[in-house]
Amino acid sequence: MTVLHVVFRVGDGEYVLPASEVLHMESFTGATTVPGAAAHVAGLVQVRGRVVPVVDLRMRFGLPRVTPTIDSRVLIVEHGTRVVGLLADAAREIVRLNPDDLRPPPELVVEQAAGYVTHVVEVGKRLLMRIDSTRVIGEESPDGQRS
Amino acid sequence: MTDGFDRSEFVGGYLAEVEEHLGNADGQLLKLEQAVRANAPQLRMLRELFRALHTIKGLSAMVSVEPVVELAHELEAVLRTRDRTATPLNATGVELLFRGVRAIALRVRSFAEGKPVEPAPQDLLLAVAALQTANGELPKGELTVQVAPELLAKLTPAEREQLNQGLASGQRALQVDFSPSPERAAEGLSITTVRERVGALAEIVKVVPRSVAKSPVAPSGLTFSLLVLSNGSAEALAEAAHVETRELVALSPAPSDSEPPDRESSELAIATDTIRVDVRRLDDALDRLSSLIVSRHRLERAVRNLRERGADVRELEALLGEHRRELRHLRGALTHARMVPMQQLLERVPLLVRGMARESGKRVRLEVDARHAELDKAVAERMFPALLHLVRNAVDHGIESAEQRRALGKPEEGVITVRCTQRTGNLLELSVGDDGGGIDRARVAAKAEAPVPADDRELLALITRPGLSTRDAADARSGRGMGMDIVRQVTVSQLGGELSVRSELGLGTTFTMRLPMSVSIFDSFVFRCGPQSFVVPLSTIEEVVELDSAQVVNAPAPKRRAASARILRRHGENIPLFELSSLFALEPKAGLRSALVVRREDARFAFSVDHMLGQQEVVVRPLEDPLVRVPGITGSTDLGDGRPTLVLDLWALQGSAGSQAVQP
Repeated sequence: MTVLHVVFRVGDGEYVLPASEVLHMESFTGATTVPGAAAHVAGLVQVRGRVVPVVDLRMRFGLPRVTPTIDSRVLIVEHGTRVVGLLADAAREIVRLNPDDLRPPPELVVEQAAGYVTHVVEVGKRLLMRIDSTRVIGEESPDGQRS
Repeated sequence: MTDGFDRSEFVGGYLAEVEEHLGNADGQLLKLEQAVRANAPQLRMLRELFRALHTIKGLSAMVSVEPVVELAHELEAVLRTRDRTATPLNATGVELLFRGVRAIALRVRSFAEGKPVEPAPQDLLLAVAALQTANGELPKGELTVQVAPELLAKLTPAEREQLNQGLASGQRALQVDFSPSPERAAEGLSITTVRERVGALAEIVKVVPRSVAKSPVAPSGLTFSLLVLSNGSAEALAEAAHVETRELVALSPAPSDSEPPDRESSELAIATDTIRVDVRRLDDALDRLSSLIVSRHRLERAVRNLRERGADVRELEALLGEHRRELRHLRGALTHARMVPMQQLLERVPLLVRGMARESGKRVRLEVDARHAELDKAVAERMFPALLHLVRNAVDHGIESAEQRRALGKPEEGVITVRCTQRTGNLLELSVGDDGGGIDRARVAAKAEAPVPADDRELLALITRPGLSTRDAADARSGRGMGMDIVRQVTVSQLGGELSVRSELGLGTTFTMRLPMSVSIFDSFVFRCGPQSFVVPLSTIEEVVELDSAQVVNAPAPKRRAASARILRRHGENIPLFELSSLFALEPKAGLRSALVVRREDARFAFSVDHMLGQQEVVVRPLEDPLVRVPGITGSTDLGDGRPTLVLDLWALQGSAGSQAVQP
């Protein structure tokens, strides 16, 4: 029993999300900045008639912001009633992973990824990190209020 | 945002329809004239005429030909009153109606030729309005109280005179409405006892039984309206007669000028089940509500500050919670008030389909299933042309000719189905289906010089390409190479909905729009600040000022970048000037800049921006995700470039800037 995962790159790291969480992927040419929003919010994009906030994964993972390239991708993720975009440096691949191969992340990774990585899996020589989209998106609103 | 639709095409449809109904109206008037001469019953003609005028009014309202709407409305009102009161028209009356219909035809023609449409002639409107009460002549004893036309029609000249004289001698004219019910009968209240009690205190001029819509107040659907003259107060009368005060309506004197009584307000006074309200009033109420929400945020912040200082704010917090719920309910109620029933909106479609079918020589039946679906008026207005376009396409391209259908073994009459269902949440699903030939993918692909679409989704992408027409010979109504792309633009970009299609060759095509039931739409200023455009509601801006150095005074050095330290001198007033680009940490552009002046009550604030881009009506979608919920940013809109543009509430922004400035 294998599960389809979307592979994406942020900086030098390769990450995965279950394909069932990803609605679709879009190329990225910039977003509308939302002044006052948290630093990891890249802004708003309009995708298929829907206005979607985009989380910059580079910022989330403590990497410097870069200008979008032709490889930049937004993974549109459905999260409960919310639809959020995750901005990655590239996303080109889909892999089948056996859930049994997923292991808890090594100490070093946990520290670096601030709890965003829940599992790691080795595919050949590559180490893919499974992220926790709930954590990455975050529940907090900028002014601390809840809806 | 562009209007989207080819106006001439839409206007063409309008003219065709109106011509048809004007023709019908003329025919009915001729018959009516004969009936007057022969002293024959008029009811059928009155009703047919009413229907024709009602449709003309509706169609004209869609293309905003106000004088025609006004004329049709006035004529329609006369016919309604005549129908209800069963009072026939005389020759003079019919002649006036002829004049009214001619006046409409004249204005429709001007509109068709693109000329300015003359306003409705006031004397004609007055004369027509008078038809509601008399047989073509303005009554001599014009009543100086406001009474619903249906009541007025029941009054004899003598009774009118009686009311006028009573008023002249300082008495009050009152209307007491009494609706019999089993409960009231059990309390000994019947029209007889009420009449006795009221009669003991006041002078009864007339008792008019009226059939009204059944309601808890009038369970039998019957109300007696007592028109009385009294020296005492309404309350005393109500108490003595055991009728509730709300059933008393003061008939205030009509305005002294010779304008006919304002029917709208008198209808309102008679507490009917429905009233017509200008949408702008509701918008105004919504605007005020947003201000309330902003001040609530500030209240919340104040309470939070108190709590942080260790104060006991439990009671305040409980009150805030209650307040929040109340506000939410109020918002819901106001939003609901803007809803129009789909059924009502779709009323006009059958007539349009009939016209189109006749023109194309096809046989088409329309089935409408709207149940109880409702949607916001603003959405309805934007959606309706798109819906009409789909219907028109179904007639023109979908349904085959009767001969073709017969050859295919289908019933000769094609069926177009318009279905409207409310989905969960804020969504409405609206579909237009036909049992026609379906879309020929290969042909569409060849036409567009594109690969044959593999599925319905690809097909939709192909047919909504700008400029694609599937018809070889462009005809007058559709197939001019535009349409489906606009339908998609309205549905998806403007209204934030979805569009889909299902088409099977030989079996038919169904387009489905999924739309939000309500959106918020307003006129706005668009301006640029740094690399981005922003939008503010026009109504929140008092003034746009071109900045030059002479008007701006630099105050002592700012402690924080967010807080403005500049003052705009304007009309002898010192207005704090905030720099939006620094507030937003955006790189400002050099050069001439403008400032937007915001006022609330007595306080004024100004925001400098890079430059103004103009005015535009925008459809605003709220930004609900916590990631982008920021004070001062209320929503996003699409200015037509396919990118979100932020909508600002400068007052709230000032609030957050101000609070940043005062906090250490």
